[in-house]
This record gives sequence, structure tokens and C-alpha cells, in this order.
Amino acid sequence: MQDEDIVTGLVLEGRCFTLEELCAACGLEPDWVVRHIEEGLFPAPEGARSEWRFTVVGLTRARRMHAFERDFEAVPELAALVADLLEEMDALRARLRLAGLE
Amino acid sequence: MIRRPDRQPREDARGVMEYRDYYKALGVPREATIDEIKKAYRKLARKYHPDVSKEADAETRMREVNEAYAVLSDAEKRAAYDQLGRGYQPGQEFRPPPGWDAGFEFSGPGYAGAEAADFSDFFAELFGRMGGAQAAGRGGAFHMRGEDHHAKILLDLEDAYTGALRQIALRVPRIDPQGRVALDSRTLNVKIPKGVHEGQIIRLAGQGAPGMGEAKHGDLLLEVQFRPQARYRVAGRDLHVALPVAPWEAALGAVVPVEVPDGRLQVRIPAGAQSGRVLRVRGRGIPGEPPGNLLLEIRVVLPEATTPKAKELYETMARELAFDPRRSS
Repeated sequence: MQDEDIVTGLVLEGRCFTLEELCAACGLEPDWVVRHIEEGLFPAPEGARSEWRFTVVGLTRARRMHAFERDFEAVPELAALVADLLEEMDALRARLRLAGLE
Repeated sequence: MIRRPDRQPREDARGVMEYRDYYKALGVPREATIDEIKKAYRKLARKYHPDVSKEADAETRMREVNEAYAVLSDAEKRAAYDQLGRGYQPGQEFRPPPGWDAGFEFSGPGYAGAEAADFSDFFAELFGRMGGAQAAGRGGAFHMRGEDHHAKILLDLEDAYTGALRQIALRVPRIDPQGRVALDSRTLNVKIPKGVHEGQIIRLAGQGAPGMGEAKHGDLLLEVQFRPQARYRVAGRDLHVALPVAPWEAALGAVVPVEVPDGRLQVRIPAGAQSGRVLRVRGRGIPGEPPGNLLLEIRVVLPEATTPKAKELYETMARELAFDPRRSS
């Protein structure tokens, strides 16, 4: 251990990421995000590009899709389909937890 | 990024570490073609994918597989690794000779990837200078913000009510004045604010990968997760909990105590409450703007008829009430 610090973080929720922040968080180029939005593979945020805001769920989706394209050389449509299924699985798991079944 | 217990540094003070067999990690022979390596990697990436894997050590194995693939899928790194590792066995003490990489021209993406902090000291020792040397070679004219790193932070539900201080161990790549990248072990005490809940991210500015040149460090993004616990179920800021009540409390109404993460409440049960009915106590879920609600699911629990008195009471009810629970209302 080199040193110890006390750090205070910023809590992010809702539509909290700009395009640039989303890209920095995922190691992506903005063109990747724009292309996937234009092709309907990524939820389109409201407003002009400078006003786009992305959610924590969007961040997870971008990371997943990018990983599938990179690791499996998946075409973007397939990566989006797998991301859709994982999101469905996340929602069902949340319902199971709420029902006390997981 | 966050060091797990199974990833304690294996390097001693003299820079000796354990040799890692990347071919074994991917389950391929040393003469495997790039297509065979790619195929083996994808098979293992599917098996240990964090979203679906049921394997207990999936995270650890995925890191090993990623590290092995980062080396074996890159012709230059693979050639260097093959030359250097000849004759070593997995786990054997290993120290590269000084200047071992003089004959290699590394041109790959270097050692700045977001996963790099998860790689081993062995990897850092062998390939650590690549990204750093490139950055240093640019004479400081090149500036690029460091990448953001991601990790999960497991909290107790009580932390959301009171706030907390949590210690996390990090492995942070550092570029030295010679342009060489090394992994530093570092501990951070993170202040967890009151009101956090799942679905949020805590951003720790400047705690990600170092920037190149004079650019800023990236951030560390901590995904909030609660430890599983039997009593409460959490949805956003709302807290769901079962509330056992006696038949007479449900039938006649009562005020009953309820334990919550930040203390104890007195809750009024309305007369005629049935099992499955949910009572909402506004604002007593996880604190915030607005605070969540406490949702109490009533479960009527019957006393056992194991004593003569209990049997007599049940028999009286059966006789006097003429109650048929199967009759549709």
C-alpha cells in the first residue's frame, strides 16, 4: 500500500452521462455510439446531440454490446440482440429477487 | 480494478513472480494458430461470461483468459512471451533478464486498456513498458485522458440509511519517468453517502487509469450493489419486508413493532387485514429526494393447536363463526 486517502464520490443516477462521458466510461469512440443509435440498435436519447443524456442502464448496454462485437466479432445487430436478452434477464432476475425467489 | 482476495500480488521485493502459462489458460498447444487461439478464447469467454456463468470462480478465470488472449492474439507479444518463457512451468518463480525485450518492436495498443489493471504482475513486468514507452516517446506533446475503470462495490443495506466508509484495494497502472508501466497496490477509503441504492454509480474522479502526457486521470466508476440478505427485498429506494401478524391482530387491528435498518417503527395494522395485503409506510425506505417507501406484506400466522386451551378456542371459532374460507365473496 502506498498511501491512504478518503475520497468522496459523486452519485450518478437517471440520465446522467453526456455522450463524451459515456464514451470515456466505455472506452468507445462517439462515432460508435452515433452509428448504433442511427441504426436503431441503441436507445435514441431525446433532443439534439449536444443535449443527449444516457442512463446507467445505457452505460451497461454500451459496454456489453461493445464487448460482444470485440470478443466474438459479432455483427452489431447480434450484439444488440444479446444485449436485449440480457436486459430481459436482468428484469426477470429483479422480479425474482423482489418475490423472494432468488 | 478492485483487487480480490485471490489476486494478491505474487511479486516479492526483488521483482520475482510466478510464471504464467498463457497457452494452458486458453487450453491450446504452443503451436496453435491465431484462429485456434481465437476460437478457444471465444469458447472460454462464453463459459465464463459474467452475465451468465454459474462457475464459482468465473471472474477470476475470465481475467486469466483475457490476459492470456491479450498476449497470444498479438503476434509481437506472443513472440516475446514464447522466447522469454521457454522452459518455465506455471507457478515457477520467474524474473525476466535485464534488457530482454531489446530485440522486440512493440507496436500494439500497449498497456492502457481498461482491463489492464486486472492483469497480473507477470503481465505488467513483461509488457508494461509498451504503452508507457510510446507515450514517453511522444515527448509530452501527446495528451490523452486516462480511461475510466469499472468495479462493483458491495454494501450492506444499513449503509444506505446511515452512510459509511468503505475500504477498497486498487491496482493502478503507473507510468514512471522512464515510460515504464507498473502496477501499484493502493487502498482508498471511500465515503459512501447516505441514500445510495442499486442502479446507481459512484464516480470517483481521477481514480481511473493515468492520462498520457499532461492529461487527467480517468475516473473509477463503482456500481452499487447490496449484499443479499434474507429479511429485506429492495427495489430502487423501496424496501419490501414480510410482516407476520397474529390472527387477532389482523382481524381486530393492532399497533405492532417493525424492525427496519435504521431502528424500530410502530405500525398500525388496520382491522380486517388479510395475508398478502401490503401496507405502505411512506418515506421510510432508503433515504433520498424523494425517500423510498417501506412496503410491509402482511402474513397472518396461525398459532398451533397443540394445547387443550388452543384447541378449545379453535373449536369455539369453528362453531360460532360459521366461516367458510372457500366460499367466494
